Amino acid sequence: MSDLTRRDLVKNSVVTAAGMTVIGAFAADAASADSGAAGSEPVVAFVSDPSKGEISVMKGEREVKLRDRKLARDISRAVR
Amino acid sequence: MSSHREAPAISQDAVADSTDLYAFVSPDDPSTVTIIANYLPGEAPFGGPNFYEFGDDVLYRINIDNDADGKPEIIYEFQFRTEISNKATFLYNVGPISSLGSANWIRKQFYTVTRVVGGKQTVLGRNLPCPPCNIGPGSTSNYESLASAAIRQLGNGHTVFAGQRLDPFYVDLGSIFDLGDLRPLNKVGPLKLAATHGVDSLSQMNVQSIALKVPKTALTSNGSNPTDVTKPTSVIGVWTSASRRKSVIHNGDGTTTQTGPYVQVSRLGNPLVNEAVIPMAFKDGWNADAPAGDSQYAKFVANPELQSLLNVLYAGAFPHLAALASSGKPRADLEAVLLTGLPSGIVPGFQNNTGKTLADQLRLNMAIPPAKKPNAGGLAFGDAAGYPNGRRPADDVVTIILRAVAGLLYPLIDKTYKVDAAVSLVSDGLGPQNSSYLSGFPYLGTPSSGYDTKGLAA
Repeated sequence: MSDLTRRDLVKNSVVTAAGMTVIGAFAADAASADSGAAGSEPVVAFVSDPSKGEISVMKGEREVKLRDRKLARDISRAVR
Repeated sequence: MSSHREAPAISQDAVADSTDLYAFVSPDDPSTVTIIANYLPGEAPFGGPNFYEFGDDVLYRINIDNDADGKPEIIYEFQFRTEISNKATFLYNVGPISSLGSANWIRKQFYTVTRVVGGKQTVLGRNLPCPPCNIGPGSTSNYESLASAAIRQLGNGHTVFAGQRLDPFYVDLGSIFDLGDLRPLNKVGPLKLAATHGVDSLSQMNVQSIALKVPKTALTSNGSNPTDVTKPTSVIGVWTSASRRKSVIHNGDGTTTQTGPYVQVSRLGNPLVNEAVIPMAFKDGWNADAPAGDSQYAKFVANPELQSLLNVLYAGAFPHLAALASSGKPRADLEAVLLTGLPSGIVPGFQNNTGKTLADQLRLNMAIPPAKKPNAGGLAFGDAAGYPNGRRPADDVVTIILRAVAGLLYPLIDKTYKVDAAVSLVSDGLGPQNSSYLSGFPYLGTPSSGYDTKGLAA
């Protein structure tokens, strides 16, 4: 998780959800302030349990796991 | 069977569904081993307008364990891509396909082969062509010339083919899954009908085959040419797997965005394990797991449901098996065949043991030469070049495994055990079909053509 900040993640996310499961698929927006760092390859974030703050972020064939309760909660709230 | 649509989830994902795996010393090139991984079960030959192909979004693997740890030391990866050369037609081809480069063939598939050893990837071939499906005399009149043109020599002595072939597997699915009936045993079986020969449910059906011929020296852990049957380095464990991206987003326009690491959705080592040994509730999980973790499933091999079913369905026919089942003794014979390989000293002059790690793998002792007169019954019938020493396309694995479950091999670990007389009758009543095989690579017969197929199992 070297090139994706928490702010980018929230700013760029387009989130769909069913129950407590949140899947966010978001391509880096060319108009965003940090598009150079994010690139144009799609990024997917998967919050399997917002209460635990566990977030899986996937890009290309990579997957990194984050633990960030506030970020997970923010993503979850975005689809309420 | 042997692994066609064997688990609930993969039965709905045909292009990733491994149907059979074969591994044998190439009979016409015994310095090599041929491994065949078949996918896409039950292809009806008349498949137009969308004829069969591999999944562009599936990562296919052939995995080799050569140091008995249940993990792959060598991996061959196959990834496909499809090209559409004419966006104005609904047809697969707009005229006869006389060559792999024919402009009449609209939808072509290509693939890349990569060998991975210790995490280091070596691309053995790129943009390798698949042949078209066998459509019929109007479109693919000289089919074998097209298929032969798709056989490619790669680096380091490897030969590869990927494309449609006739499914070499034979089984009476209609009978077996009608309450475990076996037509030759109809009179004493659950249906109480007259005994008949079996009906090959897969007759005329095709599959997508990945066939790879590899020098033995490229498979052993020390690069040696295996000549000593007793040496552990002569044995490899083989399994195939298919994986999909972890995340798939349907974009709403007919396209998908696939992201993340590849996740295994299908695997196959020995025939019939996930099909007829692993309970329904565990099948999908088994497909996702690695063989090295198969100790969690060993109890299903040690006490197979099928041995109890035989005693119920054919009541009184297997008294010794019934006593064995009721004793609760673990079936060490089946564990050896399916999970560890047979150690030395069990069958004179033979071993294909890979140590204590319990793992479903197809184990091949490469030091055993091809049989001059192969017996489809394999090792149990004196042919050590056949199943369960690897598996050849014609091996009658349904009969072998049914009889093994019925106790045929139990005397190997308990010499006091007497095999029930009825075991010699256990069979689904089928045998190899000579038209289903070639004498040379890729060894599987010409796929049925759509035009010439009058109906399934006709």
